[in-house]
Amino acid sequence: MVSVLPNLIDKQDGFEIVRDQIGAILLAETNAQQVLAPLANPAQNPADYALKIYSEAFNPWESQRESAADLTPVINVWYDTGNFPRGRGNTVEKQIHEGIFNIDCYGFARSKTDGATGHVPGDVEAALEAQRALRLVRNILMAGHNTYLQLRGLVAGRWPQSITVFQQGIDVAKAPQVVAARLAFRVDFIELAPQLDYGTLDFIAIDVNRALDGSLYFEADYDYTTP
Amino acid sequence: MSLRETASADARAILNDAAGFRWPVSVTDPAGVVSPVAPAVGALYGFGNDISQLIDPETGQVVSGRLPTVALHLDDLATTYGAALPESINDRTIKPWLVSFDDITGNTLNFKVAQSNPDRGLGIITCELEFYDG
Repeated sequence: MVSVLPNLIDKQDGFEIVRDQIGAILLAETNAQQVLAPLANPAQNPADYALKIYSEAFNPWESQRESAADLTPVINVWYDTGNFPRGRGNTVEKQIHEGIFNIDCYGFARSKTDGATGHVPGDVEAALEAQRALRLVRNILMAGHNTYLQLRGLVAGRWPQSITVFQQGIDVAKAPQVVAARLAFRVDFIELAPQLDYGTLDFIAIDVNRALDGSLYFEADYDYTTP
Repeated sequence: MSLRETASADARAILNDAAGFRWPVSVTDPAGVVSPVAPAVGALYGFGNDISQLIDPETGQVVSGRLPTVALHLDDLATTYGAALPESINDRTIKPWLVSFDDITGNTLNFKVAQSNPDRGLGIITCELEFYDG
Protein backbone atom coordinates (compact mmCIF):
# COMPACT_ATOMS: atom_id res chain seq x y z
CA MET A 1 0.00 0.00 0.00
CA VAL A 2 1.33 3.42 -0.98
CA SER A 3 0.63 6.55 1.06
CA VAL A 4 -1.82 8.99 -0.49
CA LEU A 5 -1.61 11.77 2.09
CA PRO A 6 1.00 14.24 0.93
CA ASN A 7 0.95 16.52 3.96
CA LEU A 8 1.94 16.09 7.60
CA ILE A 9 -1.00 15.78 10.00
CA ASP A 10 0.13 18.42 12.44
CA LYS A 11 -3.16 19.87 13.57
CA GLN A 12 -5.11 19.20 16.75
CA ASP A 13 -8.43 17.45 16.49
CA GLY A 14 -11.53 19.22 17.70
CA PHE A 15 -11.79 17.14 20.87
CA GLU A 16 -8.26 18.15 21.90
CA ILE A 17 -8.97 21.81 21.25
CA VAL A 18 -12.24 21.66 23.19
CA ARG A 19 -10.69 19.80 26.13
CA ASP A 20 -7.88 22.34 26.39
CA GLN A 21 -10.33 25.20 25.99
CA ILE A 22 -12.49 23.94 28.87
CA GLY A 23 -9.42 23.89 31.09
CA ALA A 24 -8.29 27.31 29.89
CA ILE A 25 -11.71 28.84 30.54
CA LEU A 26 -11.90 27.37 34.04
CA LEU A 27 -8.39 28.58 34.86
CA ALA A 28 -9.01 32.09 33.58
CA GLU A 29 -12.31 32.40 35.41
CA THR A 30 -11.15 31.00 38.74
CA ASN A 31 -8.33 33.54 38.70
CA ALA A 32 -10.78 36.31 37.83
CA GLN A 33 -13.21 35.25 40.56
CA GLN A 34 -10.46 35.49 43.16
CA VAL A 35 -9.82 39.08 42.07
CA LEU A 36 -13.53 39.92 42.04
CA ALA A 37 -14.32 38.40 45.43
CA PRO A 38 -12.91 41.12 47.71
CA LEU A 39 -14.13 43.83 45.34
CA ALA A 40 -17.69 42.55 45.56
CA ASN A 41 -17.53 41.98 49.31
CA PRO A 42 -14.54 42.88 51.49
CA ALA A 43 -15.47 40.05 53.82
CA GLN A 44 -15.31 37.51 51.02
CA ASN A 45 -12.26 35.23 51.08
CA PRO A 46 -10.71 34.98 47.59
CA ALA A 47 -9.50 31.49 48.46
CA ASP A 48 -13.12 30.36 48.35
CA TYR A 49 -12.95 30.78 44.58
CA ALA A 50 -9.64 29.04 44.05
CA LEU A 51 -9.53 25.86 42.01
CA LYS A 52 -6.57 23.78 40.87
CA ILE A 53 -7.14 22.89 37.24
CA TYR A 54 -5.67 19.74 35.68
CA SER A 55 -6.24 17.99 32.41
CA GLU A 56 -6.08 14.24 31.68
CA ALA A 57 -4.34 13.67 35.01
CA PHE A 58 -4.37 10.19 36.52
CA ASN A 59 -3.69 11.21 40.09
CA PRO A 60 -4.33 14.93 40.36
CA TRP A 61 -4.95 15.19 44.08
CA GLU A 62 -2.08 13.39 45.75
CA SER A 63 -0.54 16.72 46.77
CA GLN A 64 -3.73 17.45 48.72
CA ARG A 65 -3.41 14.08 50.41
CA GLU A 66 -0.06 15.02 51.86
CA SER A 67 -0.79 18.68 52.59
CA ALA A 68 -2.15 19.95 55.85
CA ALA A 69 -2.44 23.55 54.69
CA ASP A 70 -3.54 23.58 51.04
CA LEU A 71 -6.90 21.91 50.56
CA THR A 72 -7.86 23.80 47.42
CA PRO A 73 -10.42 21.83 45.39
CA VAL A 74 -8.94 20.02 42.41
CA ILE A 75 -10.54 19.94 38.96
CA ASN A 76 -9.53 17.34 36.37
CA VAL A 77 -10.83 17.68 32.82
CA TRP A 78 -10.64 14.60 30.64
CA TYR A 79 -12.07 13.44 27.36
CA ASP A 80 -14.30 10.44 27.93
CA THR A 81 -16.27 9.41 24.83
CA GLY A 82 -17.43 10.70 21.47
CA ASN A 83 -20.22 9.83 19.05
CA PHE A 84 -20.41 10.67 15.36
CA PRO A 85 -24.07 10.53 14.21
CA ARG A 86 -24.32 9.63 10.54
CA GLY A 87 -26.88 12.33 9.88
CA ARG A 88 -24.65 15.12 11.18
CA GLY A 89 -21.88 15.71 8.70
CA ASN A 90 -20.71 14.30 5.39
CA THR A 91 -18.59 11.32 4.59
CA VAL A 92 -15.94 13.33 2.73
CA GLU A 93 -14.92 16.29 4.80
CA LYS A 94 -16.66 17.21 8.03
CA GLN A 95 -18.41 15.34 10.86
CA ILE A 96 -20.06 16.51 14.03
CA HIS A 97 -18.38 15.06 17.09
CA GLU A 98 -20.71 14.72 20.10
CA GLY A 99 -18.06 14.62 22.80
CA ILE A 100 -18.40 13.94 26.51
CA PHE A 101 -15.81 15.54 28.75
CA ASN A 102 -15.68 14.52 32.37
CA ILE A 103 -14.95 17.38 34.71
CA ASP A 104 -14.10 15.82 38.05
CA CYS A 105 -14.28 18.11 41.08
CA TYR A 106 -12.49 16.90 44.22
CA GLY A 107 -13.28 18.50 47.57
CA PHE A 108 -11.01 17.97 50.58
CA ALA A 109 -11.40 18.61 54.26
CA ARG A 110 -9.90 17.71 57.60
CA SER A 111 -11.96 17.46 60.76
CA LYS A 112 -11.09 20.25 63.16
CA THR A 113 -12.08 21.87 66.38
CA ASP A 114 -14.63 24.66 66.20
CA GLY A 115 -12.69 26.55 68.85
CA ALA A 116 -15.39 25.88 71.42
CA THR A 117 -16.92 22.67 72.66
CA GLY A 118 -17.63 21.08 69.32
CA HIS A 119 -15.93 20.21 66.05
CA VAL A 120 -16.35 20.44 62.28
CA PRO A 121 -16.69 16.99 60.70
CA GLY A 122 -14.40 16.52 57.74
CA ASP A 123 -16.69 14.23 55.74
CA VAL A 124 -19.45 16.84 55.60
CA GLU A 125 -17.03 19.64 54.77
CA ALA A 126 -15.43 17.59 51.99
CA ALA A 127 -18.83 17.04 50.40
CA LEU A 128 -19.65 20.73 50.63
CA GLU A 129 -16.28 21.62 49.12
CA ALA A 130 -16.81 19.26 46.19
CA GLN A 131 -20.25 20.72 45.56
CA ARG A 132 -18.93 24.26 45.81
CA ALA A 133 -16.26 23.48 43.21
CA LEU A 134 -18.93 21.88 41.03
CA ARG A 135 -21.07 25.00 41.40
CA LEU A 136 -18.24 27.20 40.17
CA VAL A 137 -17.45 24.90 37.24
CA ARG A 138 -21.05 24.63 36.06
CA ASN A 139 -21.69 28.34 36.33
CA ILE A 140 -18.52 29.20 34.43
CA LEU A 141 -19.09 26.77 31.58
CA MET A 142 -22.82 27.40 31.24
CA ALA A 143 -22.50 31.18 31.34
CA GLY A 144 -23.94 32.79 28.25
CA HIS A 145 -20.50 34.11 27.38
CA ASN A 146 -19.37 30.52 26.92
CA THR A 147 -22.27 29.29 24.79
CA TYR A 148 -19.76 28.16 22.19
CA LEU A 149 -16.85 27.94 24.64
CA GLN A 150 -15.44 31.01 22.87
CA LEU A 151 -14.83 28.75 19.86
CA ARG A 152 -17.61 29.82 17.57
CA GLY A 153 -17.12 28.16 14.21
CA LEU A 154 -15.75 25.01 15.81
CA VAL A 155 -18.22 24.39 18.63
CA ALA A 156 -21.90 23.97 17.78
CA GLY A 157 -23.13 23.83 21.37
CA ARG A 158 -22.55 22.56 24.90
CA TRP A 159 -24.78 21.00 27.54
CA PRO A 160 -24.37 19.64 31.09
CA GLN A 161 -25.28 16.01 30.53
CA SER A 162 -25.22 14.73 34.11
CA ILE A 163 -23.77 15.17 37.58
CA THR A 164 -22.63 12.25 39.70
CA VAL A 165 -21.29 12.49 43.22
CA PHE A 166 -18.94 9.81 44.54
CA GLN A 167 -19.53 9.49 48.23
CA GLN A 168 -17.10 8.22 50.78
CA GLY A 169 -17.87 4.72 51.85
CA ILE A 170 -16.86 2.00 54.25
CA ASP A 171 -13.24 0.95 54.42
CA VAL A 172 -11.90 3.58 52.07
CA ALA A 173 -9.22 6.17 52.60
CA LYS A 174 -10.28 9.08 54.78
CA ALA A 175 -7.10 11.05 55.36
CA PRO A 176 -7.98 13.61 54.22
CA GLN A 177 -11.70 13.25 53.64
CA VAL A 178 -12.27 13.43 49.88
CA VAL A 179 -15.52 13.66 47.98
CA ALA A 180 -15.63 13.79 44.20
CA ALA A 181 -18.37 15.17 41.96
CA ARG A 182 -18.34 14.60 38.21
CA LEU A 183 -19.93 16.89 35.67
CA ALA A 184 -20.33 14.99 32.40
CA PHE A 185 -20.17 17.84 29.93
CA ARG A 186 -21.35 17.33 26.37
CA VAL A 187 -19.91 19.47 23.61
CA ASP A 188 -20.82 19.21 19.91
CA PHE A 189 -18.07 20.35 17.59
CA ILE A 190 -16.64 19.85 14.13
CA GLU A 191 -13.98 17.35 13.20
CA LEU A 192 -12.07 17.77 9.95
CA ALA A 193 -9.58 15.55 8.18
CA PRO A 194 -7.05 15.92 5.33
CA GLN A 195 -8.77 16.58 2.00
CA LEU A 196 -7.89 15.95 -1.62
CA ASP A 197 -6.40 18.87 -3.48
CA TYR A 198 -8.12 18.75 -6.85
CA GLY A 199 -6.15 21.56 -8.41
CA THR A 200 -7.58 24.49 -10.40
CA LEU A 201 -9.91 23.53 -13.23
CA ASP A 202 -10.33 27.00 -14.67
CA PHE A 203 -10.55 30.68 -13.78
CA ILE A 204 -13.83 32.55 -14.13
CA ALA A 205 -14.03 36.29 -13.45
CA ILE A 206 -17.52 37.57 -12.53
CA ASP A 207 -18.66 41.18 -12.11
CA VAL A 208 -21.97 41.74 -10.26
CA ASN A 209 -23.66 44.98 -11.32
CA ARG A 210 -26.93 46.83 -10.70
CA ALA A 211 -28.80 48.17 -13.71
CA LEU A 212 -30.55 51.53 -13.81
CA ASP A 213 -33.89 49.82 -13.16
CA GLY A 214 -32.47 48.28 -9.96
CA SER A 215 -32.13 44.73 -11.21
CA LEU A 216 -28.92 42.80 -10.70
CA TYR A 217 -26.92 41.30 -13.52
CA PHE A 218 -23.51 39.79 -13.79
CA GLU A 219 -20.91 39.61 -16.44
CA ALA A 220 -18.67 36.55 -16.64
CA ASP A 221 -15.31 36.53 -18.32
CA TYR A 222 -13.76 33.14 -19.07
CA ASP A 223 -12.05 31.23 -21.81
CA TYR A 224 -14.40 29.22 -23.93
CA THR A 225 -13.55 26.74 -26.64
CA THR A 226 -16.14 26.16 -29.29
CA PRO A 227 -16.83 22.41 -29.47
CA MET B 1 -10.53 -20.72 80.24
CA SER B 2 -12.50 -21.31 77.05
CA LEU B 3 -10.98 -21.25 73.59
CA ARG B 4 -12.68 -17.95 72.92
CA GLU B 5 -11.27 -16.42 76.11
CA THR B 6 -7.86 -17.77 75.16
CA ALA B 7 -8.12 -16.17 71.72
CA SER B 8 -9.04 -12.82 73.27
CA ALA B 9 -6.17 -13.03 75.72
CA ASP B 10 -3.80 -13.91 72.91
CA ALA B 11 -5.03 -10.92 70.89
CA ARG B 12 -4.42 -8.64 73.86
CA ALA B 13 -0.96 -10.06 74.35
CA ILE B 14 -0.10 -9.56 70.68
CA LEU B 15 -1.31 -5.95 70.72
CA ASN B 16 0.79 -5.28 73.82
CA ASP B 17 3.84 -7.34 72.94
CA ALA B 18 6.89 -5.17 73.66
CA ALA B 19 9.00 -7.39 71.41
CA GLY B 20 6.39 -7.34 68.67
CA PHE B 21 4.58 -4.64 66.69
CA ARG B 22 2.94 -2.80 69.55
CA TRP B 23 3.00 0.96 69.32
CA PRO B 24 2.08 3.60 71.91
CA VAL B 25 -1.30 5.17 71.14
CA SER B 26 -3.05 8.09 72.81
CA VAL B 27 -6.85 8.26 72.86
CA THR B 28 -9.03 11.20 73.91
CA ASP B 29 -12.76 10.80 74.40
CA PRO B 30 -15.36 13.51 73.66
CA ALA B 31 -15.22 14.62 77.28
CA GLY B 32 -11.51 15.32 76.90
CA VAL B 33 -10.28 12.39 78.97
CA VAL B 34 -6.85 11.46 77.67
CA SER B 35 -5.51 7.94 78.05
CA PRO B 36 -2.51 7.65 80.36
CA VAL B 37 0.95 7.97 78.94
CA ALA B 38 3.43 5.14 79.40
CA PRO B 39 4.71 4.00 81.85
CA ALA B 40 1.55 4.94 83.75
CA VAL B 41 -1.02 2.24 84.39
CA GLY B 42 -3.57 2.17 81.62
CA ALA B 43 -1.21 3.42 78.92
CA LEU B 44 -2.46 2.22 75.59
CA TYR B 45 -0.58 0.11 73.12
CA GLY B 46 -1.85 -1.30 69.87
CA PHE B 47 -1.24 -1.44 66.13
CA GLY B 48 -1.09 2.00 64.52
CA ASN B 49 -0.90 2.04 60.74
CA ASP B 50 -0.83 4.79 58.13
CA ILE B 51 -0.68 3.31 54.66
CA SER B 52 -1.07 5.02 51.31
CA GLN B 53 -1.40 2.36 48.61
CA LEU B 54 -4.89 1.01 48.55
CA ILE B 55 -7.16 -1.20 46.53
CA ASP B 56 -10.56 0.26 45.75
CA PRO B 57 -12.91 -2.38 47.17
CA GLU B 58 -15.54 -1.67 44.53
CA THR B 59 -13.40 -1.89 41.43
CA GLY B 60 -10.35 -3.78 42.61
CA GLN B 61 -8.20 -1.05 41.12
CA VAL B 62 -5.20 0.42 42.88
CA VAL B 63 -6.07 3.96 43.89
CA SER B 64 -4.22 6.70 45.65
CA GLY B 65 -5.42 7.11 49.19
CA ARG B 66 -4.24 7.36 52.76
CA LEU B 67 -5.84 5.10 55.32
CA PRO B 68 -4.61 5.44 58.90
CA THR B 69 -5.94 2.82 61.29
CA VAL B 70 -5.46 1.77 64.89
CA ALA B 71 -6.25 -1.53 66.57
CA LEU B 72 -6.70 -1.69 70.34
CA HIS B 73 -7.98 -4.23 72.84
CA LEU B 74 -11.28 -3.51 74.54
CA ASP B 75 -9.90 -4.49 77.96
CA ASP B 76 -7.12 -1.91 77.61
CA LEU B 77 -9.62 0.80 76.73
CA ALA B 78 -11.88 -0.20 79.60
CA THR B 79 -9.17 0.73 82.11
CA THR B 80 -9.73 4.41 81.27
CA TYR B 81 -13.09 4.56 79.51
CA GLY B 82 -15.12 1.73 81.00
CA ALA B 83 -17.74 0.47 78.57
CA ALA B 84 -17.42 3.43 76.21
CA LEU B 85 -15.80 2.63 72.89
CA PRO B 86 -14.30 4.97 70.29
CA GLU B 87 -16.77 5.73 67.51
CA SER B 88 -17.36 8.21 64.73
CA ILE B 89 -18.95 11.42 65.98
CA ASN B 90 -20.78 13.66 63.53
CA ASP B 91 -22.51 15.82 66.11
CA ARG B 92 -20.92 19.21 65.63
CA THR B 93 -21.71 20.31 69.18
CA ILE B 94 -19.32 17.85 70.81
CA LYS B 95 -15.72 16.84 70.35
CA PRO B 96 -14.95 13.60 68.52
CA TRP B 97 -12.94 10.61 69.69
CA LEU B 98 -9.32 11.46 68.95
CA VAL B 99 -6.36 9.16 68.39
CA SER B 100 -2.74 10.11 68.06
CA PHE B 101 0.45 8.17 67.56
CA ASP B 102 3.86 8.82 66.11
CA ASP B 103 4.92 7.59 62.69
CA ILE B 104 8.15 5.67 62.39
CA THR B 105 10.14 8.90 61.96
CA GLY B 106 8.78 10.42 65.18
CA ASN B 107 6.19 12.77 63.69
CA THR B 108 3.08 12.92 65.83
CA LEU B 109 -0.07 12.29 63.84
CA ASN B 110 -3.44 13.47 65.13
CA PHE B 111 -6.64 11.84 63.99
CA LYS B 112 -10.36 11.72 64.52
CA VAL B 113 -12.08 8.33 64.62
CA ALA B 114 -13.91 8.20 61.27
CA GLN B 115 -15.17 4.64 61.48
CA SER B 116 -14.96 2.07 64.25
CA ASN B 117 -15.22 -1.69 63.88
CA PRO B 118 -15.43 -3.36 67.30
CA ASP B 119 -15.26 -7.12 67.57
CA ARG B 120 -16.83 -7.89 70.89
CA GLY B 121 -16.18 -11.58 70.42
CA LEU B 122 -12.40 -11.34 70.34
CA GLY B 123 -12.17 -8.00 72.11
CA ILE B 124 -10.44 -6.00 69.39
CA ILE B 125 -11.58 -2.64 68.05
CA THR B 126 -10.18 -1.39 64.75
CA CYS B 127 -10.70 2.27 63.94
CA GLU B 128 -10.28 3.97 60.61
CA LEU B 129 -8.98 7.46 61.12
CA GLU B 130 -9.07 10.84 59.42
CA PHE B 131 -6.96 13.90 59.98
CA TYR B 132 -7.89 16.19 62.85
CA ASP B 133 -6.64 19.71 63.43
CA GLY B 134 -7.20 20.62 67.03
